Amino acid sequence: MKAPLVGVAGMTHLGLVSGSALAGHGFEVVCFDRDQALVARLERRDWPVLEPGLDSLICANGARQRFTGTAKELASCDIVYVAPDVPTDDQGRTELSGLTALIRDVAAAMNSEAVLVVLSQVPPGFTRGLGLWPSERLFYQVETLVFGQAVERAMKPERIILGCADPGAPVEPRYRALLTAFDCPIMPMRYESAELAKISINCCLVASLTISNTLAELCERIGADWAEIAPALRLDRRIGSYAYLSPGLGISGGNLERDLGTVLSLSKTHGTESGLITAVVRNSRYRRHWALRQLHARVLSRVADPLIAILGVTYKENTRSIKNSPAVALIHQLIDFRIRVFDPAVRPSPQWHPGMTVADDALACCDGADAMVILTAWPQFRSLRPSELRGRMHGRVVIDPGSVLDRAAATGAGLEHVVLGAPSPAQPQQ
Amino acid sequence: MTLAHAHSEPRKPTRVVVLGAGGFLGRRLVEACRRADVPAVGLSSRDVDLADAAAAGALAERLHPHDVVVFLAALTPDKGRDSGTLMRNLAMARAVCEATRRVQIAQLIYASSDAVYSFATTLISEDTPAAATDLYGAMHRTRELMLASEAKAPLAILRLTAIYGAGDTHNSYGPNRFLRQALGEGRVALFGDGEERRDHLYVTDAVALIVEVVMRGSTGLLNLATGQSFTFRAAADMIATSSGRTVVVTSSARQNPVSHRHFDITNLVRAFPDMRFKSLAEGLAATFADMKAEARG
Repeated sequence: MKAPLVGVAGMTHLGLVSGSALAGHGFEVVCFDRDQALVARLERRDWPVLEPGLDSLICANGARQRFTGTAKELASCDIVYVAPDVPTDDQGRTELSGLTALIRDVAAAMNSEAVLVVLSQVPPGFTRGLGLWPSERLFYQVETLVFGQAVERAMKPERIILGCADPGAPVEPRYRALLTAFDCPIMPMRYESAELAKISINCCLVASLTISNTLAELCERIGADWAEIAPALRLDRRIGSYAYLSPGLGISGGNLERDLGTVLSLSKTHGTESGLITAVVRNSRYRRHWALRQLHARVLSRVADPLIAILGVTYKENTRSIKNSPAVALIHQLIDFRIRVFDPAVRPSPQWHPGMTVADDALACCDGADAMVILTAWPQFRSLRPSELRGRMHGRVVIDPGSVLDRAAATGAGLEHVVLGAPSPAQPQQ
Repeated sequence: MTLAHAHSEPRKPTRVVVLGAGGFLGRRLVEACRRADVPAVGLSSRDVDLADAAAAGALAERLHPHDVVVFLAALTPDKGRDSGTLMRNLAMARAVCEATRRVQIAQLIYASSDAVYSFATTLISEDTPAAATDLYGAMHRTRELMLASEAKAPLAILRLTAIYGAGDTHNSYGPNRFLRQALGEGRVALFGDGEERRDHLYVTDAVALIVEVVMRGSTGLLNLATGQSFTFRAAADMIATSSGRTVVVTSSARQNPVSHRHFDITNLVRAFPDMRFKSLAEGLAATFADMKAEARG
């Protein structure tokens, strides 16, 4: 059988990475977006997202992957993915009207024998409710995007979860041939199961995170160290080596919040018990302000007119996303204080804080600071030498939730190194 | 709901009227306002009996437009725990509501209590549902609802944890009673071994926070607590140590299960990020000094 020609519509994060991965597996891929300016940018190889390995993958794809702003070019495709990022608001609510409109436009441009695949994450019931494409050639494929690891995960998925109208029916041959190229288990199931499967994965992840946060906070109070405990848990086969056991500053990025909101909404509608999800949301809100509480106790309530250095504003490393970023939240809270900020990927917006200054590098950010807060674990921050920081800072408080700095070196350099899940350094008495 | 400031920078109101100015907190609040060069009038039950049927009119006559009213007045549990006390307390709130409909004030600050919370939740924040388990807690919660629905003024509700300091007129279990026992009897009597953890707020810090709420024209809900909880045993030991005399701390057979209470003060930190609380040791030492000074003269 001739290899299928693949179309991917929606060239934001998910579509761009997924289209590139399809081309990376040898398929010819037409990447479409209605935004002509975005297409022009892509043709200049100016990627709108930061994702390790993306540039080299697209370069290696060469002519197999092309960009277009013309929907008609999808007419020759055997399989068309619709994959725009679905926006969410600060409350985690999904706005689906853009996706629905794009699906309608794409379906109108496709040839009538092609396969339509919804790749964007949608709530249960969405795919079956579309009603504009023959159900035997309409699929919902669960996306596996993880910011900062998207290329690797798109190229080598652990499995492909496939929502179908009838999971007992054979998958359309061209589509099956495409999926087989990824050399992983293919798991057909009804649309609603696949739609909920993605949400279920995220719920399991946030449950692990919440457990880690809960126990890590206890560690901080009783002299235990979560960094010692977590490896023991990873060796338990019932938990696993890839479990989300790193404590954090609450859930951010937007996607997990959206899924929690979806479960709560479904639970309210259908009258099911969702106390665990409510607890996860509450814990996330509580942990979000951990850095502020530490700063208050150690600096803001003790030092007159302190200067606070903030390293990192993205919600995690290797991304430009600041959606629900703890750093941006902290910056807003420090409106009455002097702050200096540095992030290697994002230029902080003056709207966040009128008195904020922006540094050109991490060390310059720390000059004369009474405290430093490391809120994104960018790899380059790991090479900062605590002794040099101590020499450049005015104070010695370093709030480092993810333990980016070497703890022994930081303590040895005389820094008051405050880490999530680690015994809390004593606050000096005034 | 949390606290929101009307003024980004502190702004002095034209006048502050303190209801319950004869009490432990009220006296200090009037003094603090005056020290901050804010005109302040203290009204006690001798000036206006808020539980009286004619109290609304009497209070309205004493209010000026644009006043900030701080409502501290309450019959505390040592004055009675029965429904009669409850109804008198609610009558006070009704009078305040009615007075604010007659005179357009700038801000109403209500000093509520952490008694609105149940001990089933050990880490309390403003998101914790109010679930009073006695009439005193129910009184405060009812007053909050009355003020929110019937008072005509921007409203700040402050839920205070237990306050300690010299001049306290109550004798409830905790630092105030321990201080008196230590000075008077040379002993502090604990329930059980004093294992319960509680947050204790020094009166000067409570007053400072209320003044901040006045100056910022704040509205909404805020718990006033330090975020640090100590066992009653620890408080008793600190008192014994700082008393300057021999004080025996005694245990007794436990009558009730141990319960703890902690506060998540994130919202307080967000509202007042440079607020510095006296540590319990500092506050107890300051209280001792004040009590000894009062005793001398």
